[in-house]
Amino acid sequence: MADMPTATTPALEARGLTVDRRADAGMLRVLNGIDFAVEAGTLTDVVGPSGAGKSTLLLALARLLPGVEGSLSLQGEPAAAIDPRVWRVRVAYLPQRSALLPGTVGHNLTLPWRLKVRAAIARPADETLRAALDRVHLTDVALDRDVARLSEGQAARVALLRTVLTRPAVLLLDEPDASLDEESADQVGLLTREFVDAGGAVVRVRHLRSDGHADRRLRLVAGSLTEEARS
Amino acid sequence: MSATQLAGGVVGIGWPQLLLASGFVLVTGAIALWMQLGVTKDLAIATVRTYVQLLALGLVLRWAFAADRWWWVVGILAIMTVAAARIILKRAPDAPSGLFLAAVTSMAVTGITVTFAVTGLVIGADPWYSPRYVIPIAGMVLGNSMTGIALSLERVFADLDARSGEIRAMTALGATPWEAAHPSVRAALRAGLIPAINSMAAAGIVFIPGMMTGQILAGADPLEATKYQIVVMLMVAAAEIVGAALAVLMSYRRRFSADGVYLEKGFRE
Repeated sequence: MADMPTATTPALEARGLTVDRRADAGMLRVLNGIDFAVEAGTLTDVVGPSGAGKSTLLLALARLLPGVEGSLSLQGEPAAAIDPRVWRVRVAYLPQRSALLPGTVGHNLTLPWRLKVRAAIARPADETLRAALDRVHLTDVALDRDVARLSEGQAARVALLRTVLTRPAVLLLDEPDASLDEESADQVGLLTREFVDAGGAVVRVRHLRSDGHADRRLRLVAGSLTEEARS
Repeated sequence: MSATQLAGGVVGIGWPQLLLASGFVLVTGAIALWMQLGVTKDLAIATVRTYVQLLALGLVLRWAFAADRWWWVVGILAIMTVAAARIILKRAPDAPSGLFLAAVTSMAVTGITVTFAVTGLVIGADPWYSPRYVIPIAGMVLGNSMTGIALSLERVFADLDARSGEIRAMTALGATPWEAAHPSVRAALRAGLIPAINSMAAAGIVFIPGMMTGQILAGADPLEATKYQIVVMLMVAAAEIVGAALAVLMSYRRRFSADGVYLEKGFRE
């Protein structure tokens, strides 16, 4: 039986997380028994060289990878007791690319509520979506705008907004501001911080220098995580 | 030796005339050699296979018609179905392994349903297994649905790979494999049905369909041959969409793990 959540129960916890991947030269160990916990109301950055397994770590935490060894728990509840789709609703992963589907901004923002897993939840009204777009300085983006006509920065903000609107407990962001202009990156950072300040937990994979929003910085090298001293 | 008039209005072809037809292939082979197309050997093999396979088929059909037993008809249909399923899997190299059952099942269900719907309800064949009707009709159904199924299977797995980023984003939002995959399934079924639609649109204007041609050559009234052809074309369209839908619906899920995660290349068996 799972322990009762306490004030110190992490929002998300991983124990012995191990991932092997098939490569040309046989099986490759990408994550090597990682122990990891994030608290509610904190923002954790995971940094490391290219190919170190940062994105793999986020996918494993989101239960979006097959064959992951180790254990995960969400607010003290073991992953085995939570349906994978429900887990993904509560631990939301936002990929770096291809987050938006062909269609309009409105179609993309309401996509989560058209899925069976949220069938019982009413989708946000257009006014709510409009207000949310205004909040991230997308006032000039209409709900019927085709996403193909958005700039990269606008698309990144719409994708993040959609995920935040689903109110997950944990947000996993893969390079959310890697290729954005300064203004868009600032907006993405502020929206992320707002989510954290409202009690959410965020794990963010980044390769850029610190933007001042993270509470904690971890380095992933050769499949293992180490805490980085804050400068 | 000249061609001879056979019973039923069919003009028979003698063995010398049959061999004479090879002359056309020799011309084609000469062009292929001259143009250095690199297909001369394939052409020769294909020509020999055409003679051997079709003559063997003629002998088997003659024997099956004479035997007139239901179990021989069912046996022949089973062999045709398995052979078609093997060809389908060869034509869809991106498909995951272990799809033989899906291919055989979709071919068998399509073949049996559509063939016997036509021979029983439209033609009114008596007895129900009448080899003269069942085997050629089944050949057309299986041949065409094989094309549709192969196209659809090839397309669904290629499209899923092309949309893998989108599928991951949807899965991350809590989508089921069906919710994430259904645009690819739709695209695949559309691709599988296009040959039948094109064929129906062009029939009678661009070309005279094979079955109708055969019946007219055999001395049938052109209007009667037309009626048969219309039934066959509609039946083929039905067979293609039913077969393709069955095959795709039975197989797309194999690209997802039990947890509903799309299996990227490094995680496939």
